[in-house]
Amino acid sequence: MADDPQRNFRSAYYEKVGFRGVEEKKSLEILLKDNPLDLEKLSTFSQRFPLPSMYRIHVWKVLLGVLPPHSDSHALVAGYRKEQYQDILEALEVMRYTNASTPSTHVYLRMFQLENQVLPRCSETSTPDEENEDFLSISRAMEEIVDDPVDCYWLIKSFVNQFHTKFGDSVPHLPKSLEHYLSQEEPRLLNHLKSCGALAQLPYSIWFRRCFAGCLPESSLQRVWDKVISGSCKILVFVALEILLSYKIMLMGITRPGGVVRFLCNIPQENTDAIVTKAIDSWHKYCGTPMHAV
Amino acid sequence: MAREQPNVGDLLPLLETSDLHQLEEIRGVINEHLSTERGSMLLNGLVDYFLETNSAQAMHILSSVREPHDKHLLDKMNECMTKQACRLPTLTLLGHVIRKQPSWIHKIARYPLLLSLLKCLKTDTDVVVLITGVLVLITLLPMIPQAGKQHLWEYFDIFGRLASWNLKNPGHISEVYLIHLHASVYSLFHRLYGMYPCNFVSYLRSHYSMKENMETFEEVVKPMLEHVRIHPELVTGTKDHELDPTRWKKYEIHDIVIECAKVSLDPKEASCEEGYATMPENFYPQIHLRPQDCTSSPYTDLHSSYGQKTLHTYQGCSIIEKKILIMIVLVNTEIMIIQYHDSLSFGTMLQLLKLKNTGGKGTPASGTPATSSPPPTLSDDFPIISLPANTVQSSPPRKVCSLFKIHHNCPYVVSAAAAITEELLKITEEQLELSGLRGFDSPFYHTTETLTGCQAQDKTLSNTQPGGPVRDPHHVVSTPDKGETTASTSDRGVAGDGRSSALGLEQSCKTLAAVPYESFFDLALPRAASLFVGQKTSEAVHKDGEEEGVASASPLEVLDRLVQQGSDTHDKVLKRLPLPSKSADWTHFGGSAPLDELHTLRSQLLLMHNQLLYERYKREQHAVRNRRLLRRIINATALEEQNNAMKDQLNLQSVDIVSLRESLQVEQQRYRQLWDDRETVVTRLHSQIRQLQQGRDDYYTKNQELQKRMDELEAELQRANNKVCHTGHLLNQMAIKLSNSESTQQQMSFLNKQLLLLGEAHKLSTQELHHTGADNAKEAQMLKLSYGKEVEMLRQSLLVQGQKLEAAQQRVAELETHLSKKEHLIAEQKKFLEDVKCQAKAELQASDSRYQAQRRITQLLQTELLQLYSRVEMEAPANGQSQLHTDVEVDSRLPPHDSPRGNGSTLSPRQPKGSNSSKKTTANSINGSQDLAPPLLVEPSLSCPYGNSLAPLPASDAPLTVGSYPSAKSFLGMRARELFRNKSESQCDEDQPQTRLAGLAHGLKTELCVEPPYPGYIGIVCPAPSPVSTPLPAPAPAPAHATPLTVPTKEPPSEPKQRASSQESPRRKAGSGGGRGQASSGRPRQQQQLKIMDYNETHHEHS
Repeated sequence: MADDPQRNFRSAYYEKVGFRGVEEKKSLEILLKDNPLDLEKLSTFSQRFPLPSMYRIHVWKVLLGVLPPHSDSHALVAGYRKEQYQDILEALEVMRYTNASTPSTHVYLRMFQLENQVLPRCSETSTPDEENEDFLSISRAMEEIVDDPVDCYWLIKSFVNQFHTKFGDSVPHLPKSLEHYLSQEEPRLLNHLKSCGALAQLPYSIWFRRCFAGCLPESSLQRVWDKVISGSCKILVFVALEILLSYKIMLMGITRPGGVVRFLCNIPQENTDAIVTKAIDSWHKYCGTPMHAV
Repeated sequence: MAREQPNVGDLLPLLETSDLHQLEEIRGVINEHLSTERGSMLLNGLVDYFLETNSAQAMHILSSVREPHDKHLLDKMNECMTKQACRLPTLTLLGHVIRKQPSWIHKIARYPLLLSLLKCLKTDTDVVVLITGVLVLITLLPMIPQAGKQHLWEYFDIFGRLASWNLKNPGHISEVYLIHLHASVYSLFHRLYGMYPCNFVSYLRSHYSMKENMETFEEVVKPMLEHVRIHPELVTGTKDHELDPTRWKKYEIHDIVIECAKVSLDPKEASCEEGYATMPENFYPQIHLRPQDCTSSPYTDLHSSYGQKTLHTYQGCSIIEKKILIMIVLVNTEIMIIQYHDSLSFGTMLQLLKLKNTGGKGTPASGTPATSSPPPTLSDDFPIISLPANTVQSSPPRKVCSLFKIHHNCPYVVSAAAAITEELLKITEEQLELSGLRGFDSPFYHTTETLTGCQAQDKTLSNTQPGGPVRDPHHVVSTPDKGETTASTSDRGVAGDGRSSALGLEQSCKTLAAVPYESFFDLALPRAASLFVGQKTSEAVHKDGEEEGVASASPLEVLDRLVQQGSDTHDKVLKRLPLPSKSADWTHFGGSAPLDELHTLRSQLLLMHNQLLYERYKREQHAVRNRRLLRRIINATALEEQNNAMKDQLNLQSVDIVSLRESLQVEQQRYRQLWDDRETVVTRLHSQIRQLQQGRDDYYTKNQELQKRMDELEAELQRANNKVCHTGHLLNQMAIKLSNSESTQQQMSFLNKQLLLLGEAHKLSTQELHHTGADNAKEAQMLKLSYGKEVEMLRQSLLVQGQKLEAAQQRVAELETHLSKKEHLIAEQKKFLEDVKCQAKAELQASDSRYQAQRRITQLLQTELLQLYSRVEMEAPANGQSQLHTDVEVDSRLPPHDSPRGNGSTLSPRQPKGSNSSKKTTANSINGSQDLAPPLLVEPSLSCPYGNSLAPLPASDAPLTVGSYPSAKSFLGMRARELFRNKSESQCDEDQPQTRLAGLAHGLKTELCVEPPYPGYIGIVCPAPSPVSTPLPAPAPAPAHATPLTVPTKEPPSEPKQRASSQESPRRKAGSGGGRGQASSGRPRQQQQLKIMDYNETHHEHS
């Protein structure tokens, strides 16, 4: 890698002097040229640096297994995925689960349910439960990010699956972790939250089950998901922490837990980018930068 | 003590015994007693005894009393002093004690005795006591100088009282006492002036500044002052310093006495030490002119002893002086005469003379100061005595001067010159006569003679005459020029009084003789002076010379005169016993009563004695001092001698040094000579050495040459030796060779013989050979040829073999490289295979997921279908057919979509499985197969007529069999659940694709195998399908149905084989190896084929 003529020889020093992300795009391109793709490297890269948006979807697909690491077979597999998507979609249409007016997110939900064999009968279709709502919000967010419905469906599906399989066990512990970091960063706020009883009622489901889908705007959200997709759910804790810290003054002003929850569910969308940046920084600070260098 | 006391007291009178032994004993006893006893009894007794008897022995004992008794003695004496009667003897005793100078005498200042003595002196009126006391005090003063501080003014008061005694109490006491008193006061004056000059002078100043004392001063003190010089202390010292006790510490008693004497001008009082008393020098010789006088008193005797010493020096000096004087006078006549004519003063004359006499030693001319010259009046009192002295000194110049005067005045100079010489001769004669006279008198005459003799031996010795008549010639010689002197000589006769003459003699001795320049004075003023002197003398003679003399002269002299007078009177008394003039004498002196005369005489005697004792004491002091000085002289002489000795030594050493220096020079010369010798020798030796060295060098070179030559010769010798050896060796060799050659010759000859013999034999044999055949040669040649060929062939074959071997080796190498390449390739291939495997796996997973999705869809569809069915059946009782119709219609809509899935081939595999399972499971499987059959049958019915023709039967059967719907439904539900459950199970998962694959492969084979390249395979694998190749869907179900027992049994073994082959062959190989493309039906290809099948299907449909 070091001898790669395509790389700027100064790249090694950019970060030392404080320029971040100068060479990221290039190094990512180099990474993507590999055949087969090195998933580990990609995930490390994604954890360390923000992904360029033009490669984000591709990288996500690779990382989530929608596309195989071998780029030769990308077209084939993509074809498969598309066919599968169409098949399922048709089947659902045939079975009258969906029609043209059905919102795509619901379509994605049905498809996901179908694939997981949990699709209820048409007659039994009831209001979506909590799990379905999570999926729906995630898919809503993803729909915003990804244009192609096939990719979107696959990404949603893979994301949800991966999240459940990978972090299903650790998600229940995240509130505790948040409390811990909050005690380190801002014990006063923690005490306040504790005292007014809002700590237990914080929107943990939005934060940790939906991965801030619906809470943060997509432009910020995708950066958080970069980290989640590349294998870290801790970032969610830090984003939550930063949200709390950023609106500390407001939160300190609210004494009723319901007000806190309400506020946190509808946080202003202005400076979420900064929050996310800070969260990533503090995540790097506390958990350390992934050592696998690109 | 008490016992002894009376004894000792009784012993006292015995002191007066005449028996010397007894006296000694008694004195011993008393002394012993004194030494043992401390009481004052004996001492008091002794004092009393002394006072009573005036015993000399007692006095002796008392004066030598020891320390502890001093207090008693002094107390006793103090006690006695209070009594008027004992005062005089007490004072006498005190005088004795003090003169004895005991060690405790300094204590006296602390005792009341001193005070009482002073008091006595101040108050007493008895002259004798006073005189005695004053003498005691004078004696005591040097012993207690530090006591003066307290009593100084008392001393001065005493002095003032006693000085004015005479004036205040005129006529009270006799003249004799006055003389004594005056003498003692004079001594006191000297003592006080000598010891405390500043205080004393200030006292005098204050005391005599008063009017009432003025007279006393004029009368008494002033004359005394004339006899003292100014004390140095008056210049340097102060009143306080004088009284300082430390000042006195460095002085002994006699030092103080001498100090006091030094300041005195009175020869009687003064000492004759250097620098103070030069005056008496001229006096002493004249003393000797009257030896009988001098010897009369011990006092003069003392002086004579002094005088004799100085006389000796004086004589030498004076004579030389005179000569010098004469010479000077002769040389400087001109000046002298001028001076004379100018009648210069006497002092200037003297100074001139002094100038001329600078060469001489301390002469009378220079030594005697003009100021000290006493008034000329006195000098004329004693013309007789002064005459000889005058003649001695003054006559020659006088004569010379007069002569020169004459010479100067008269024009006959030449004759005068002769006269001068005559006069000079005369003078010398006189001189020598005088000296000769003196020489007879003194024991030092001979020494004087030796001193002077050198000058005047030839002339004078013969002229010396016995002393007696010498006087007259002197007078004769001197008189002509000096008329007045004759007059004065006549005075002698006039003054018949012997006493006065004696006194005059004495006085002249002391005072007048000290002025030798009277003669000059006379010379300067010949007439006037002589007249003046004559007048004066006559006046003096006529006047009461005694009193005048005393007044002006020293009181001591007066006293002396008194003594002299006393002795004279005594002589007279002796001459005329009745003493006729005695009374007159007494009356002349004091005019006292004859009754008192005895007392007066006694006291006079006492006073005389006292005076004598005082003088003796002074003498003792002088003696002490003398001794000290003598010691010093001795030391000085010793040092001088030492010095001389050292000088001698020095001289000797210098002489030694000189001699040594000389010897050193000699030695140096010798050394230099030796050095030169050595130098020459060394140079010679050096030259020799050089020569020898040269010779040696020559020899060396020669030696080297010779050695070289020797080496050469040796080398030659070696060579020669070598040669010799070589030649010897050669010789030996030659000898050997010779012997060899000889032997060979012998052999040669022998061999020659043999040769000859053999030649003959050969000849014989050749002959024989010629005779025998030549056949063998051909055969041999043939053989040889054949062998050669054979060898050639073998060689060629060897070559070929070698080449082959090489080729083979090359081949091996090639193959090995090939092998390695292959291996590398294989490794690469393996890697690639892994890669591809991964890729395929991923793809497979994708397709699998697709498949799963399909299954889910299918299941869902099935469930949906079932649901619909159930609903239909629920509604069936009424219009079952219509429902079915609608269902069919519904299905008819599906075909375009369903056609791929509705493939018979895809379903067919399920059949065997189902049959298999049905076979395994007894009833259920049949049910299953029956259950499965209807959908299968339904589909074919939709797609193809064959299927439909066959299917309806079972389909129609199926509902019948499945007629028991609830159970069927429940069974289906179970089945569905089972399927769901199996979804996770891998076995089912794998089995199904396998079977499906197998089915596909089977289908593919049947489809693709148009030409049979591997008939074996086909033949084995698919015997049945091959006939039905074109109608794809139809035959498949048919055999499936027709030969359900045969096909499945055959298929399982074929399937693994197919799969193995298909799996083993990689895709690329399959691509490359076209020949085997048939066998390598990869999965993609299969999928493609599946699609192709679809195409085929559609194609079929098209066609």
